[in-house]
This record gives sequence, structure tokens and C-alpha cells, in this order.
Amino acid sequence: MRISTNTIFESGTSRLGDLQSDLMKLQQQLSTGRRILSPSDDPVAAARALEITQAQSVNTQFANNRQTVKSQLSITESTLSNISDLLTSVQSTLVSAGNGTYSDTQRGFLAAELRGNLDELVGLANTSDGAGNRLFSGYQTKTAPYAQTATGAQYNGDQGQRMVQISASRQMAVSETGDNIFQANGQDVFKTMTDLINLLQTPVTTPAASAALSAGLATASTGLQSAADAVLTVRAAMGSRLKELDALDVSGQDRDIQYAQALSGYQSLDYTKAISQLSQQQMTLEAAQKSFARVVGLSLFNLI
Amino acid sequence: MATSILSIGISALNAAQVGLSTTGHNIANASTPGYTRQVVVQGAAQAQNFGYGYVGQGTQINTIKRIYSELLNNQVISGQSLSSATSNYAAQMKQIDNLLSDTTAGLSPVVQDFFASLQGLSANPNDASARQATLSSASSLAARFHSLDGRLDEIRQGVNSQITTSVGLVNAYAKQIGQLNDVIEKATSATGNPPNDLMDQRDLLVSHLSKEIKTSVVRQDGGSYSVFVGNGLPLVVGKQTFSLATQRSPTDGTRLEVAYQTKNKSTILSADSLPGGNIGGMIQFRNNSLDNIQNQLGRIATVMAQTFNEQHQQAQDASGSAGGLFFTTPLAVVNASGNNTGNAAVLADITDAKALTTSDYRLQYDGANYTITRLDNGTAQSFASLPQSLDGLTFKVGSGAMASGDDYLIQPTANGASTFSLALSDITKIAVGSPVLSSAPATSNTGAGTITAPVLDSTYTANPLTSAVTLTYDGTGVSLSGFPAAAPITVKVGSTSTTYPAGSTVPYTAGASISFSGLTVQLSGVPNDTDQFTISPNAINGAGDNRNALLLTALQTANTMNSGTTSYSGVYGQLVSTVGNKMYELQVNDAAEKTLLTQAIAAQQSESGVNLDEEATNLLRYQQAYQAAGKMMQIASQLFDVLLNLKQ
Repeated sequence: MRISTNTIFESGTSRLGDLQSDLMKLQQQLSTGRRILSPSDDPVAAARALEITQAQSVNTQFANNRQTVKSQLSITESTLSNISDLLTSVQSTLVSAGNGTYSDTQRGFLAAELRGNLDELVGLANTSDGAGNRLFSGYQTKTAPYAQTATGAQYNGDQGQRMVQISASRQMAVSETGDNIFQANGQDVFKTMTDLINLLQTPVTTPAASAALSAGLATASTGLQSAADAVLTVRAAMGSRLKELDALDVSGQDRDIQYAQALSGYQSLDYTKAISQLSQQQMTLEAAQKSFARVVGLSLFNLI
Repeated sequence: MATSILSIGISALNAAQVGLSTTGHNIANASTPGYTRQVVVQGAAQAQNFGYGYVGQGTQINTIKRIYSELLNNQVISGQSLSSATSNYAAQMKQIDNLLSDTTAGLSPVVQDFFASLQGLSANPNDASARQATLSSASSLAARFHSLDGRLDEIRQGVNSQITTSVGLVNAYAKQIGQLNDVIEKATSATGNPPNDLMDQRDLLVSHLSKEIKTSVVRQDGGSYSVFVGNGLPLVVGKQTFSLATQRSPTDGTRLEVAYQTKNKSTILSADSLPGGNIGGMIQFRNNSLDNIQNQLGRIATVMAQTFNEQHQQAQDASGSAGGLFFTTPLAVVNASGNNTGNAAVLADITDAKALTTSDYRLQYDGANYTITRLDNGTAQSFASLPQSLDGLTFKVGSGAMASGDDYLIQPTANGASTFSLALSDITKIAVGSPVLSSAPATSNTGAGTITAPVLDSTYTANPLTSAVTLTYDGTGVSLSGFPAAAPITVKVGSTSTTYPAGSTVPYTAGASISFSGLTVQLSGVPNDTDQFTISPNAINGAGDNRNALLLTALQTANTMNSGTTSYSGVYGQLVSTVGNKMYELQVNDAAEKTLLTQAIAAQQSESGVNLDEEATNLLRYQQAYQAAGKMMQIASQLFDVLLNLKQ
């Protein structure tokens, strides 16, 4: 076949150009560590990578949410633990109030101590978290849940339980409402304590009054036990939630690793393969350059 | 005799000289674009009869011709058209290929950021910084939609200006080919010999023309070319030329179309009649890819705005007011044709964003019926009246009336991405709370019955609760009473639903879902007689109420698109993969077309191209012929000297 001089030059340059652009692409892949530089390199993998990136970002967000829930639950749990301790101390005060040898004055001292305990309990029930949000007022986090009254305390919160999404299919309650803790089962701990204080401040002068004292102390004892139980129930629920969070954290981390692996499978470059390809292409390019120079150097004009 | 020898010598000398010049010309033009090699056609001169035989009279040059194959040239021209169409399409597409999937510049990262900030807000619903972060990430989402769409618009402008340039080139080439036709015809008829270099020039122009548009050539008697473009539109006939022009689409002013001009009329050419060349590639890119990509992006924006707004409007903001628009909802674009004679203002309302497609629509009126054509698949439906609903859109006439022959182009999602914006600026207006509360007062209830927080459906906002509803449990009848007087009640146990008339007393089943007035609650456990459950309007919005924030974050993965089968990111993934696949297909086609073209050019060059080694041989040959002819004349002169010296 007759070959025109133009064809020799043009096919030479276009082949060299192709080789150079292949080499350039390989170099880009090597320098970014990515196999897919644009979706057209692997359209299916590019779309999958987008989906996995989103799933990974959502997973990370759930992990952050779990952290928030944990810190919120820890604050609540430590407050409830203080309340349990307080109720235990009130219960022991109650036991000593039943001591028949105590005088009115001595019972008055106990009443004063209980008054202090009641104030402390209202204070604990009104605890806020670091951001100033009340723990036990439902959705009304800016409102103090309890205000003391002559007969106990008034609940000013609502029954909302704040939920946070902690995994794709699970929302967890991060708050407990005050009425569910302090006024559960028709037993109002504030009223019980206020009644008890009033009882201890009433002088015992007649046998009837003495009987009323015994009866009142028995009622108070039942009420306090019920309140302590309610707090323990809530604490148990919190404990199991914290445990669930730990389990979800582990599975969330596993999932994160799986996502990262899948993503790297779709996107990452196989360096061994790429580097061997690089040297192969380099060799081809050098061969093409040398042979091109030889071929174009062959001219009859050099000889005449 | 000697004179004859001398004249033979001169003819040989001349022929060798012409041979040398032609070879020189070939060498000089070896790399001239469009040049075809020329050869001297030499023949023996008419011999003279001297009675004893014919004595040769030397040589003569018959003509100088170019080595040219019409077949091979036509192959190059058609290869050129196909290749430049594909490579142009691919070059345009390449700009989009990287745009959408970029890990920093694509849509995915901002959507993820936006929903991450909403998650943050759901965990800290009254935190001003979480609210501000939500608004900021929402406005960067809007900005990203704008920048992506803006880039697509720039590409669209680029298409317009490239079409203008190409049409200009086509017209310029047509004129030059017409002029060359004239000159070549005159030169050929005047001398009887072909003007080779002019013919090369004309072929080069045709080859340039074929890069811009599909071109076919018919050679006429007398040597002039008739050139046809596209699907056979005459562009050059002899020295007469026609022209193409650009014209704005009557239904879309931003779109330049190619029109064919005859005497006083210009007709817009359809995409089908403009295959091949840069123009064909550009128009294919715009019709098959760019429009669709912009619509797909716009649809994501439109659906996102609408679904997000629906959820946001069911909620209550920090001050206890009903939630407003979070994003401004993009509207469908309706373009009336410039040729319409009626005065109807046509509207297309997006009534169900979930059902939206990415297609554009054409609405035509023939005097009796309205025809709505979905442009991506060509399905047409006729209606005797408007309004009509189709694919999530309601087509209607806002004012005025249509005249027969009126034509409208409706683009439901084309502007979706460019008009997507944030409707809120006040952080307290982000509605994350729910307008309804439920309670089972622990202080007065003695049983263990519980009630869940009410879940609202889309009908609640239109008819919200105005006062609290208190449901009282009756232990003897095992039933609930106290439902509002105006709303029927639906009780769902497992998968069985039963509807009771408004105000009824409803049997109690633990775990059943009870729905009325657009809300649903679930009651479980065993209540005691006279225990009460309250469902009430949320008068004071609790700072910690994050119920709607949770519902808003759920939209990230909810199947809100393609009639409820795919999420936002799923659709975006599809878009990226469509673009990637198209790009891949174009790259493969481009490589194939380029190879074919290279082969056609190599074949044509193998016939017509200059080979310098061959020319070097010719140089030597003609040089030797020249030397031989000179020697011959020297010998003739010596013969003459023999005669002159006879007398001495």
C-alpha cells in the first residue's frame, strides 16, 4: 500500500497523543488514589458510591445523636440517683419519727429536717441540663416543672417525651416527665412529704392525736415507698436504654467500617496494578517515540 | 533531420522541466491541507511518415492531472460529519460528567449537610445555634442548586453561541464553494484542462463544511458541485447558494434553532433533519441530554421544596404559630408560542410533586380539543375541556381564551433548581414542634393505660383541633367516649379498620390505632374505669418539642419521588449514573467514529497524498531525463558540426 508522508506524520502524532493521554489519566488516578475520576469511568460504581456516602453520613449522624442521648440520659440518671438517695434519707427520718419516746419538740426538729429535704427534692425535680433545659418538664424545657404550694407542688410541664433518632429504625426517649416520676400511680411524693411535715408539726396531746400520728406515718411510709419504687423503675428503664445505646454504637461502628470498605471497593485504586500499568505504558510510549523518530528519519532526500 | 533531432530534444527537455516543476509543486505542498498530488500525463508526439516509416517526433505533455477518487473523498466527508457530531456531543457532555458527582461541588454533600443540621436540630430543638445551622445549610443547599443550574445554563448559552458560529461557517463555506464552482467551470471550459489546485480548494471547503453539518455532494456536468446538507437541503447549486440562519424558538426564547432560508421565508429545521456535524452533535446534546439533566435536577429541587414544605406546614414554630413555607416552591414554566393568536394565560400547577416526571409537555388547541403531548415519549391525550390533571400537573386556563392553532410549551421542572430558595430568615420560624399534645394524667389516672403522641396527616392543618378532646374510659362497657361531635372515628386493630360515626362511643382494644380529625393516636395497656386521655391543641409550644424535626429528618431517606419509589438521593444517583453511562457510550462511539475516519483519511491519502520518497525518485527520474535530453541536443549539434566541417 502506498503511504503518504502526511499519513506517517499524522498517525505518528495521534498515536503519541493517545499514549500520552492514557498516561496522564493513569497519573491522575495514581495521584488521587481514586479509580473513578468521573462517573463515565464506571457509571454504576459512581452512583453506588453516592448512595453509600449518604448512608455513611446518616450513620455518622446517628452516632452523634446517640452521643447526645447518652449525655442527656447520664445527667438524668445522676439526678435520679440523687433523688433515690434523698428518698432513702427521708424514709429513715420517717422511721425515727415513729419513735414513741420523741417529744413534740423532737418531732419538730425532724419536721424542719424534712422541710429541707422537700426543698431539695423540688430543686432536684427542677434540675436543668448544661444548656438550661429542664429535665423533667416534658416539651416545656424552658419552664420549671414544679412550683411548691401549701399542699405539695404543682406540675407545670406537659406529658411530652422528647425522642431522638438513634438508628434508622429506632427513636429513643431522652426525657422523662416529672409527673411520671413524682406523681406516678396516684401517689404524689410532694404531697406525701408536705403532709408528713404537717403531721410532725402537730402536737400530740391526746390518744386520738397519737393514733392519728401512727396512721399518718403509716400512710407516709407507703407513699414514700411507692415514690422510691417509681424512681427506681425509671432508673431501670434508663439503664436499659444506655445499654441499648452501647449495643447500637458497636453495630454502628461495624456498619461504618463496612461502608468504608464498600466505598473503597468502588472508588479506590489498585496501586499494584496501576503502577505496573504505568511502567508498561511508559515503555510503550518510549518505544513509539523512538520508532517514530526512526521512521521519519528514513528519507531518500538524505541520500541524494 | 538534424532539426528534427533538435526539436525532439527540446520537447524532451520541456517535458522533463514540467515533470520537475510538478514534482517540486508536490514536494512544496506535501503538507498543504486538502492538497492532492499531481502527475504529468505525457504522451508521444504525432509521428511523421517518411515513406519508409513513421519517425517519432518527440514527446508532448497531454495534461497535468490530480490523483483524486470521488468515492474515497465521499467516505471521508461522511466520516467527518459523524465523527464531529459525536466528538462535539462528547465534549459538551464532558462538562457535565464531572459537575454532578464531584465530592465537593455536587449536590450530595450539601443535601447531607442539610439533613445533618436537621438531625442536630432534632436533638437540640431550642438551641439557637442549631436553628441557625439549619438555616445556613438550607441556604447553601439553595446556592448549590443555583450554581449547578447556572452551570447548565452557561452550557446552554455555549450551545447557542456554537450553533451561531457553525451556521456562520456553513454560510461562508457555501458562498466560497459557489464562487469556486463558477471559477472552475469557466477555467475548464476556457482551457479544456482542469484547474487542479482550485478543485483541491473546493474539496477542502466541502470537507470543512462536513465538519459542521452532514454534507453530500453531487458532481454536475461541467465540473461544478451541487452540495446538500442535513437531510438533503440544497445549499449550493452551481454558483447559486442558499443559507441557514439561527432563530429563537417561538415557544422558548432561550433556545436558538437552525432555520433554512429560502426567498422570503425561513423555516425552523427539526432535530431529525439536522443530523451530523457540529450542529447535529450540539442539537442532539441539547435535546437528548441537557434538557433532561436540567429537568431532572429541577425535579429534585421541586419535589424537595414541596414535600419539605408540606411537613413543615403541619408543624408549629417556636412561638406556637403554624409553620409556614420553608422553601419557596418552584413553579412550572409555561411558554406561549409567539405565533399564538388567542389571549389565554395557561397555567400548569404542580399538584402532586411526587408524580412529576422530567418531561416537558406541549399543549395545543385545534378549535375543539385540547391536546397535551408528553414530549419525552410522544404520548398525546385529547380533552374537550380544561382543566385536566396529568402526571402531577393540573393544566388550566387562568384567563382569556385560546384560538385554534395555539401552542404552548410547558416545562414543569426546568426552572426548579434555579428558583429553589429559602423562604425563611427568622430562626424562630423553623417549625419543629407538633400542634397537638396527648396526655394520660399520672396524677388522676389510676390504671396503666398509655397514649402515644398524636401523628398528623395532611388533612389536619386545614381543620385543626380548637379545643381539647378528653376521652374517658368506661371499665364496664370496655369503651371510650368523648370524641368530637363532628369527626367520624376510625379504629384500626391489626389490619382491620372500622369506622364509627362522629361522637360515638368506641369499644376499647389495647394497642388499637384511633384516628379522627386528621390525627392518629394509639392507646395501650389496661386503664381503670373513668381514667382519662386528653388530646389537646399545643397552646404553649414546648421549647423541647422536636416531633416535627424528627419527621423532617425522615424525609432524607423517604421515598418521595417517582411516584413514591425513590428518595431524593436515589434520584440524584440515577441522574449521575445516566450522565456517566451516556458519557461512556459517547466515548466509545467517539473512538469508533474517529477510527473509521482515520481509516477513510488514510485510504484517501494513500491514493491522493504526497509521498516524499516517491517525489525524490521522480526528481531523479526527471533530472536524468533532462540530462539525457541535453546530451541528445549536444549530439545533434555535433552532427551539425560534422556537416559544416565537410568542406575543410
